[in-house]
Amino acid sequence: MNIESNTAATAAFTPVIKLADLPPNSKKAVTVGSTCVLVCHQGDKLYAISNICSHNEKPLERGRMGNGWIACPVHGARFDLATGAAMNLPAKNPIATYEVRTAGEWIEVLV
Amino acid sequence: MNDQATIKLADLKKGDARCPGAPSTQDIIAADKVGAPGWVRSESYQFLGDEDISKDRYIDPAFAKLELDTLWKKTWQFACREEHIPNVGDYHVYDLAHYSFIITRVAENEIRAYYNACLHRGTKLRASGTEGSAEEFKCSFHGWSWNLDGTHKETVCHWDFPHVDPKKFTLPQARVERLGGFVFINMDLTAPTLAEYLGPEALSHITAWNLQDRYVYLHVTKRLPCNWKLAIEAFQEAYHVIETHPQVAPSNGDANSQYDVYGEHVDRFISTLGVVSPHLYGKVSEQDVLNQFVLGDSSAMGDTKMTLKEGGTARAEMAVMFRGMFEKMTNTDLSKVSDSELLDCFSYTVFPNTFLFPGISLPMVYRFRPDKNDHRKCLYEVLFLRPVPMDGNRPMPAEPIHLRDEQSFCEAAGMDPGFGAILDQDTDNVGLQQEGLEASAKAGITLGNYQEIRVRHFEKTVERYLGMSKKG
Repeated sequence: MNIESNTAATAAFTPVIKLADLPPNSKKAVTVGSTCVLVCHQGDKLYAISNICSHNEKPLERGRMGNGWIACPVHGARFDLATGAAMNLPAKNPIATYEVRTAGEWIEVLV
Repeated sequence: MNDQATIKLADLKKGDARCPGAPSTQDIIAADKVGAPGWVRSESYQFLGDEDISKDRYIDPAFAKLELDTLWKKTWQFACREEHIPNVGDYHVYDLAHYSFIITRVAENEIRAYYNACLHRGTKLRASGTEGSAEEFKCSFHGWSWNLDGTHKETVCHWDFPHVDPKKFTLPQARVERLGGFVFINMDLTAPTLAEYLGPEALSHITAWNLQDRYVYLHVTKRLPCNWKLAIEAFQEAYHVIETHPQVAPSNGDANSQYDVYGEHVDRFISTLGVVSPHLYGKVSEQDVLNQFVLGDSSAMGDTKMTLKEGGTARAEMAVMFRGMFEKMTNTDLSKVSDSELLDCFSYTVFPNTFLFPGISLPMVYRFRPDKNDHRKCLYEVLFLRPVPMDGNRPMPAEPIHLRDEQSFCEAAGMDPGFGAILDQDTDNVGLQQEGLEASAKAGITLGNYQEIRVRHFEKTVERYLGMSKKG
């Protein structure tokens, strides 16, 4: 498995879910502080994105993931999992993305 | 030279002439070690006339408009693969010029095609060219919504629409049929079934390929500078190979390829590979063939260099090596697959927008669609298919790579450079052809009776749908 990680300060990361509980092609919404983060395991990569669609502010967690994207289940806006960029109407604005890494058996995000 | 070469052309009926001095496609395949199935070992050529084809169909915007109003509304079109919508609720938006459909799986074994427009004020319910999943289709304008089964779910502020009967506001549908993992749609509710449309023989060929057991591992799209029919017809013959693709000709039985037509909507060629072009007899050796063979999916080859065994043929040598390499690459059992299926190019057109290539070395699908704003442009897609691995885990279909107009096919990540160069050569021709037809003093195009029969067959069907000739 090729899990992308980063080198940011360890202290700033928050463990949110065990890797074993997030198999490939699944996702789970978690709350870090006051931020709702959607942790996505798509293919062999982990992503952490805002769980809120930039178009209509609906949750993305029930949306479909494709190769590198997630589609909002309400109106169909898609977002790039890596960059958060909106890929099609009705969204034009990006969603936030967060750094994500694994530490032992945990997935950690930096919010 | 065989006896055929001594027959005078004038003695032959129109369409009966074949490349003199060369073995037929069937002769070549009959000599293979692992024999080919019936769908390979048959012929179905038909002479369909030799008059010129009028050029207005390629250059007149009014003709394109008429096509959209008639032909495209009555024909079965490849809209997506089933793997694009694997789960209930998944959808894929298929667009054909200004037409747009939400292709969605409403139950495990039922797929529907909804006209992609809100029944309130017409907004597209999903943006063109997108995929996703839905529990309902909700309009992003005023929020009217429809259930997955197409029934109307909610009229926002229903009190203001006493004239709206929800039972009459079900999403309109096009017809849907599935074959070989492909989802076909037809806007004509009275059209023949897909099986009737294809005809029994062509249907039996397609069914035999089991293309539902393959997945899309590379998908490349590009806008081409020509009418959609010119793009299609550039791929319907191997006659152009010697001039357009000189790098391929040494290992391609181009002038002795086989051409067949099936009913009104399907035609094909079989172009043998691993044999010397009749144009190059005496100039190219069997070892040269081995050295110059170009594959559509050469990632199987690695750095392998092949040397001809004494007394052997390049074709036989390659069949043995390809069997092993493709088995390893795709993790599949190819022991019963014929040499011909491993090596040769089988090109089928399913009118109007689909090409199927069921071979192993060229495992492709093409799709062509007219540009909605410009009859001189079209959208071309090439999808490479691979067998689903033996472990049964179907990979997710590849995301389309959208090339810009000026980009080479070689720039698409995953495209074999040799094959990308071939596609560049093909698609460079069609822009010149579009411009040349517009510049020409001649009223039509002239076609060979045998090697270009697919072009004539295709255009005769175009004419039938446009009411230019009697159907039948």
